[in-house]
Amino acid sequence: MKNAIFNRKQLAVPYMLFLLLFVILPLLVVVYYGFTDAEGHISLANFIGFFANPRTLGTLIYSLVIAVIVTIICLCMAYPVALILAKGAYARKHAFLMVFVLPMWINFTLRITALKEILTLIEGNLALYPFINTIICMVYDFLPFMIMPLFNSLTKLDNSMLEAGADLGANRAQIFIHILLPLSIPGIISGVTMVFLPAMTNYVVLDMVYNSTYIMGSLIGSYFSSYDWNNGSLISAILLMMIGMFTILADRFTMEKEA
Amino acid sequence: MKRLNKFLNLIVAVSLVLTLLPLSGCGKEEESDAVVLRVANWEEYIDEGDWAEDELIDLDNGDIIGINSMVDDFEEWYYETYGQKVIVEYSTFGTNEELYNQITIGDVYDLVCPSEYMIMKMIREGMVVPYSEEFKDASNENNYYVRGLSPYIRDVFKELNIEGESLDTYAAGYMWGTLGFVYNPMEVSAEEASGWDLLVNKDYYKRVTVKDSVRDAYFAAIAMNCYDEITDAAFTVRPDYHEALGEVLNRTDVETVDAVQEILTDCKDNAYSFETDSGKADLVTGKVVANEQWSGDAVYTMDQAEEDGALLAYSVPKEGSNLWFDGWVMLESGISEDSRKEHAAESFVNFISRPDNAVRNMYYIGYTSVISGGEDDTMFQYVDWTYGVDEEDMDEACPYDISYFFEGTEGIIYTYEDQLSRQLYAQYPTLDVMNRCVVMECFPDEANSRINRMWTNVRCFDMSSIFNKD
Repeated sequence: MKNAIFNRKQLAVPYMLFLLLFVILPLLVVVYYGFTDAEGHISLANFIGFFANPRTLGTLIYSLVIAVIVTIICLCMAYPVALILAKGAYARKHAFLMVFVLPMWINFTLRITALKEILTLIEGNLALYPFINTIICMVYDFLPFMIMPLFNSLTKLDNSMLEAGADLGANRAQIFIHILLPLSIPGIISGVTMVFLPAMTNYVVLDMVYNSTYIMGSLIGSYFSSYDWNNGSLISAILLMMIGMFTILADRFTMEKEA
Repeated sequence: MKRLNKFLNLIVAVSLVLTLLPLSGCGKEEESDAVVLRVANWEEYIDEGDWAEDELIDLDNGDIIGINSMVDDFEEWYYETYGQKVIVEYSTFGTNEELYNQITIGDVYDLVCPSEYMIMKMIREGMVVPYSEEFKDASNENNYYVRGLSPYIRDVFKELNIEGESLDTYAAGYMWGTLGFVYNPMEVSAEEASGWDLLVNKDYYKRVTVKDSVRDAYFAAIAMNCYDEITDAAFTVRPDYHEALGEVLNRTDVETVDAVQEILTDCKDNAYSFETDSGKADLVTGKVVANEQWSGDAVYTMDQAEEDGALLAYSVPKEGSNLWFDGWVMLESGISEDSRKEHAAESFVNFISRPDNAVRNMYYIGYTSVISGGEDDTMFQYVDWTYGVDEEDMDEACPYDISYFFEGTEGIIYTYEDQLSRQLYAQYPTLDVMNRCVVMECFPDEANSRINRMWTNVRCFDMSSIFNKD
């Protein structure tokens, strides 16, 4: 491509600058604050303090439990929908998909305010079931983020593979377990990443449904508002490490599958 | 093609450089002789003008109505009075901590309006400059603040001591009030609402809200913790009752903080939610029966409910309550010995303390001004205009004594009976209520981190609660 206006390096410059200024640099600042004390000396005190306090540890586990449940429910609800949309013989697939993704166009606080009214009609007093309401609202909020990647990976899947499986005598369950599911793993993984991590930190949902227990996101907020930047950054750093580990594990998993 | 290539590269390079340039040179051309005053205040905490015509307040002293915003009126007044142009750069903040964080990371303001404990913290950290002698000169006609400050508030400020100096050296009051409950009298009795233990009352399980703020929750809990001590008859008749109460309710020792953690954990189990803003609406719509609330917000909530045809009431618990206030302080980093800025800042405080302006702000935001007006009785007229009975109802009028606040006036409002526990009571509590209200001071750093840790423990998930559920 001799006559291209820009070469590759030049095209990458704007994003590289963005990456450096708004992604890498803030991350370094977060890690720096997380592992220093108020005087700026390197210290593990915050880190040890977090894991030694049963309450903060409790909140980590509470956030994980919420995130796992929300992710599993989203996956179980989204997979059949995505499968029907992708493999069904509908003339207007994308119009149907839009119906499922439509809620994303409306700000989530508005959607949850509406959902709260419905839940109030059913439950009477929302504050009696904070945990269940948190799960319901988060599932409602994050479901489209699961449907989209699943739909994308399932539509790309070659139908002839399924036909071949059927020709060779596999029943529908076997086709699903041995062909469909393994081939849609990349979609599952990206869906899970998009649901799991926000579910650990999106404390606005908890505030809105009167759940007074902190999750990781609220803990970060509370430290920052009491000028404790070090502990606030540490919690962010812990979440960062969890994201990192998750991504590495997911990559390994997909690579093994592909090999 | 090559030339075009180079040309485009140049464009990209130039536009990149442009986007990275600091935006300093872009502001409007300021006239060199104008003083720029950077003011930071709470959101919706000053008259922004644009009143409807029927909102006119017609007092004997003259009509009051907000046409332009208070800030615009100040700029005009300052030019007319001192012949000097001033430009106010007005910005707002949402919490004291947000303001403090902004200042520490380098935002520069000349005049800010934090709450009492943040003012104390800023004074202690040397961030503020004292008001000038001219500002305190009551013989100057334009010094509306010193001339109009209520003697009651003046005494409160004088008694507050920070590093050997009284608070009024550095701060000028703006709005003040108490902490209490707004409640629905159809559901909760006045008796039940008159104790902080309403928050842990099982009869109202999941129907009462707590403020989502460490200090307000801590105050309620500490009053519950010391209930026996501070409501004991021998304690309440002590000659130094008020000081002693102040000491008890400002305790931050380890034992107290541990006890508070227990109480707040019970509150968390019992309360509808910890809220910052949603409580008002939930009370008006009937989802909850009581809110822990500041008196100014209480007035707003009661007004709102009234429009929907519901009558709510306000109470200041019998154990004691928090006398809070927001005040103006001049920041060292902004003023930095610029006498023109200092004069403009002090004049701003004076202008908004002028009785008719204090009335405008009070009417607009619903909070209570520290200004009583001194020789000018506009403020008292306004209270009477708002809460006094109509002439034909004179036979059912209840006298309500607020002469402690309005020294020099008759000090008694003849009002309707329901106002004795509603808006009037919330805006101007009686003297016996104020006697059990103390200022919650700024915690020392070491106690502050203890209390923050306690708050984190209350709010985080307690794993042991899974196993010992009753």
